[in-house]
Amino acid sequence: MRLLFLLILPLAAHDMWIEPASFRPQEGQIVNVKLKVGEQLIGDVIAYDPARIHRFEFNATPIHGRFRAESAGLHRIGYFSKPNDVELPLEKFKQYLGEEGLEFIRPAGKTTIKENFSRCAKSLVLTGPANASQRDTALGFPLELIAEKNPYLLTPGASLPVRLVYRDRPLTNALVVALNRAAPGEKVSARTDKLGRVRLPLKASGLWLIKAVHMIPSDPADYHSYWASLTFELP
Amino acid sequence: MKLLLFASFLTLGAHEIGTTRATASFTADRRYVIQITTDPENLAEKLDGAPAQTLLTRIQLQFDGVPFVPSLRHENGTIQLTGLYPAGAKTFQFRYGWTFTTYSLTVDGRTLWIEGGDTTDTLPLIAAPAETAWQLAARYLGLGFTHILPHGLDHVLFVLGLCLLSLRTRTLLLQVTAFTLAHSITLGLSMYGLVRVSPSVVEPLIALSIAYVAIENIFLRELKPWRLALIFVFGLLHGLGFAGVLSEAGMPASSFFTALLSFNAGVEAGQLAVIALAAVAFGRFHAKVATPASAAIALAALYWTIERIAA
Repeated sequence: MRLLFLLILPLAAHDMWIEPASFRPQEGQIVNVKLKVGEQLIGDVIAYDPARIHRFEFNATPIHGRFRAESAGLHRIGYFSKPNDVELPLEKFKQYLGEEGLEFIRPAGKTTIKENFSRCAKSLVLTGPANASQRDTALGFPLELIAEKNPYLLTPGASLPVRLVYRDRPLTNALVVALNRAAPGEKVSARTDKLGRVRLPLKASGLWLIKAVHMIPSDPADYHSYWASLTFELP
Repeated sequence: MKLLLFASFLTLGAHEIGTTRATASFTADRRYVIQITTDPENLAEKLDGAPAQTLLTRIQLQFDGVPFVPSLRHENGTIQLTGLYPAGAKTFQFRYGWTFTTYSLTVDGRTLWIEGGDTTDTLPLIAAPAETAWQLAARYLGLGFTHILPHGLDHVLFVLGLCLLSLRTRTLLLQVTAFTLAHSITLGLSMYGLVRVSPSVVEPLIALSIAYVAIENIFLRELKPWRLALIFVFGLLHGLGFAGVLSEAGMPASSFFTALLSFNAGVEAGQLAVIALAAVAFGRFHAKVATPASAAIALAALYWTIERIAA
């Protein structure tokens, strides 16, 4: 099924997600964390460069690419990049607005678009048994996806309620997309409601990536985009 | 004009910088090598079992605007693209579409940052200056020397065997001359393709020749005429062995004779170094060490003989 990927041309913009070596580390286990950029959950590792990182942390403690699962519980890995600059020809930019559900942006009067983009990635890992009191909470990134249920309590086929917040407020009518490593082509997507909520049916177990993009007009660049992602492993 | 070309890259925005690195180099004799080093695990994920040649679907190479398909070799995350560029080519363009990140391309000592999937601007093709005759001679001289010291333990033991009979100048000179003359003959003949003997025959015989010289040392204390003749024959064998090594290292299309001569000279220098070291190491205790050392060499050589026949 992945061979389909050979036929897919790289898009103008790529997903970014956090991929720990294990989503279910034992207590005390040291886990390497890869920051990946790609498509269809196939990606390249980002070279670790502190100069381009705002925050990279495990349970609010700064990390440099690995963490130790000190205690049982649902842990959060967070990555918030400094803005990157890109320049895109207008046509390519419009194509990518369509792909990411950002049709409300209507660039005009320019042939090249200057854009800054920031990555706001989160990953949920579980040590020990899952329970309902374990909660994902906001890390305080500009754009953030928050799981409103412990995904490690779900079974394949169940829906995960997710909330999207932009600068601490619900972001409405934003496209949220979910994809699974085993079948990355079969995407699940929904638009957020007035409270920034979506429910995404997650059919398969394994690694899931949930993602959303928000964009605002900016200066001196034309736009600033924020790329939220959330990864976890469905039991 | 060249500076301008490179400067234009700096103004382009970039995506995240990944771990993929590429280098491109061009030789004066029209060969190019583009090497891409990337995370083996990621590459395996992308290929997902597809043959490595599939990578060519996302690689583009042009010389003066004309596309060329390179030959591709892949091993453990390193992709090597090779081929011949057209005579007189002034520029090239390259595209690697198998990374989602920004990667580096180092060419002619400069590093450019390129978006995965983007085609580079038209870059000047700068061939490395051709190797001078002296550089080539030095390279093959070194190759010959290191083939004896430190890589050629069997040849070292053979020469030590000669030294263990006697360190008297005349005895040693006669043996070494016979050996050198003989191996120069077969090395030359075999490099010009006039003689061909399979290594499976040559290698065990080389080992056996070492054993013979060592064993004779135990029973004889002086140089007999037949020993000199035998050493000449052994030299012919060793020469065939040297030819095998030199062929593996590769010979330049031009300067063939220079390379051959330099390699041979390197081998001689290696042998002389062994003799000098032997004279320093056991010159004064020659009588004491000759028999036990020869016995040890004989044992090692007999072991090699069996091992090489078995292989």
